[in-house]
Amino acid sequence: MLNASDYQVPADISRWRNLAIGIGGICTVILLAVGLVFPNQIETALRAWLLGFMFACGIGIGGLGILHLQYLTGGAWGVVMRRILEACSRTVLVLALLFIPIAVGVYNLYEWSHINKTDPIVMHRGWYLTWGGFVTRAVIYFALWWVMQYLLNKWSAQQDQSATYEEAATHLGSATAFSGPSLVFFVLIVSFAAIDWTMTLDPHWFSTIWGFLYVAGWSLSCFSFVVVILAYLSDKEPMNRILGKRHFHDIGKLMLALVMVWAYFNFSQFLIIWSGNIPEETPWYLRRMNDGWGWVGLILILFHFAFPYLVLLSRDVKRNAKYLAIMAIFILVLRIVDMFYHIAPSILTTKEYPKFDAFWLLYLIGPLAVGGIWLWAFFGELAKRPLVPIRDPFLEDAIEHGRGH
Amino acid sequence: MDKKIYGLMAEFDTPTELVDAARQVRDAGYKKTDAFSPFPLHEIDEALGIRRSILPFLVFGGGVVGLLAGLGLQWFVHVWDYPLIVGGRPHFSLPAFIPPAYELTILFAAFVAVFGMLFLNGLPQPYHPVFNVERFALATREKFFLLIEAKDEIYDYEETRKFMESLNPQEVFDVEE
Repeated sequence: MLNASDYQVPADISRWRNLAIGIGGICTVILLAVGLVFPNQIETALRAWLLGFMFACGIGIGGLGILHLQYLTGGAWGVVMRRILEACSRTVLVLALLFIPIAVGVYNLYEWSHINKTDPIVMHRGWYLTWGGFVTRAVIYFALWWVMQYLLNKWSAQQDQSATYEEAATHLGSATAFSGPSLVFFVLIVSFAAIDWTMTLDPHWFSTIWGFLYVAGWSLSCFSFVVVILAYLSDKEPMNRILGKRHFHDIGKLMLALVMVWAYFNFSQFLIIWSGNIPEETPWYLRRMNDGWGWVGLILILFHFAFPYLVLLSRDVKRNAKYLAIMAIFILVLRIVDMFYHIAPSILTTKEYPKFDAFWLLYLIGPLAVGGIWLWAFFGELAKRPLVPIRDPFLEDAIEHGRGH
Repeated sequence: MDKKIYGLMAEFDTPTELVDAARQVRDAGYKKTDAFSPFPLHEIDEALGIRRSILPFLVFGGGVVGLLAGLGLQWFVHVWDYPLIVGGRPHFSLPAFIPPAYELTILFAAFVAVFGMLFLNGLPQPYHPVFNVERFALATREKFFLLIEAKDEIYDYEETRKFMESLNPQEVFDVEE
């Protein structure tokens, strides 16, 4: 039996936590200052915030999704990363707070808020594209996510307190039984949220696969983030006693699969719109293939898909915590580029397409602002529980799995 | 002794003994060796000094050939041999070509994986001399066997047999061709 006190986070995590809140705070102040000093740049600042929010939300909410998934599939990879996923999932409330600027700034961020009384297509969407509808739905999403993470975290905490194997197995059973039905709702909520928060930036355009782009992208963000954290923990007490090459190998395989899933969904969307070739659907891609945006698209194809795909094919890379973590950081950067490609080219509330200027640097600051604050919250949550589920019935097997060849 | 000898085989009771013996055999410089166990032993690859299979590289090559074959086929059909205008699009329309090319990539890679595995393992193999040893049937149940082939460069019947007996096996068998 493992002792909870032996599996606390390493001491130097508080240094990283302070660094995160420092960067996050400074960048948030910069965004606020730009918004206050240049009123005509409020929209760019808010878009940058939205970019950062979608990126951080991808890791936090993605973590909640993978937490469901690992209860359903079982396996050593899920047991060794469960506590990191739980810490991700417990940031739901912080993410809800980080969403406030978007909820408040709807009128400065979404063109539909200006034309929902005049434009026949947007009028047809009725209550759905109004401030009230938008905010009500966001509250519902966060509330349901909160309930999911509350229950899964509760059972996991009770498992840690279990005196007997049977008791621990009962709590694991509760979490597993809940995860199946809950995951169905989770994916639906992610789909609705993605449509609300980024697809409606272009109020006329629609894509039925949009939600799945985010399910795949957020899962990939989450796995990449977890790899970075595990690699950081793996050469320190206490996790160096737990983690082995095979754990990284397994998570690396899942990253490879998700890189392909992301490409698959994106290509599906493109192929259907390209072959349909009808005016309701093509403007989104026409906008993103011209005025230099085609280069961003090419960067995504080459470095969000082709390059990570080829590198992650290698067994040696997947089994080396350091190489895999470098690849994971690379993918996380490209996740930001992917969000940038979704958000930045969209039409402004002034009904003009944005023109490139120095204020676009805000798109670099946005992810640092939201990401820094989120990371601070994450490290705080991570420190609250032992780094491994100490009473999990499969923990021994999971550790043993990592020691094999 | 008019029968030709294929190699020498030692029998062990436990996987640990087999792995230990395999290490000594490797360290003694034998290359043409093999081990037999009722269940997979992860350590045995390293203990016998077996190098990693080249199969992954072959599979990758198969995938690349499949991709090129898929694109090549569609180029040949749509651009070279029988160009038709479909939906007002160029003859060479890459987005439409990707799904079939992707399918052929998977197909070729899967073929190479399956048949390459069989080929590299020397399968199918209807006859193998190790089955001439009667007790070898126990390799599928409870016993562990280590084989040194006569083809090995440093193999010498007397010397090798003495060496194998020094590994504390249950017994050492002559494997006849």
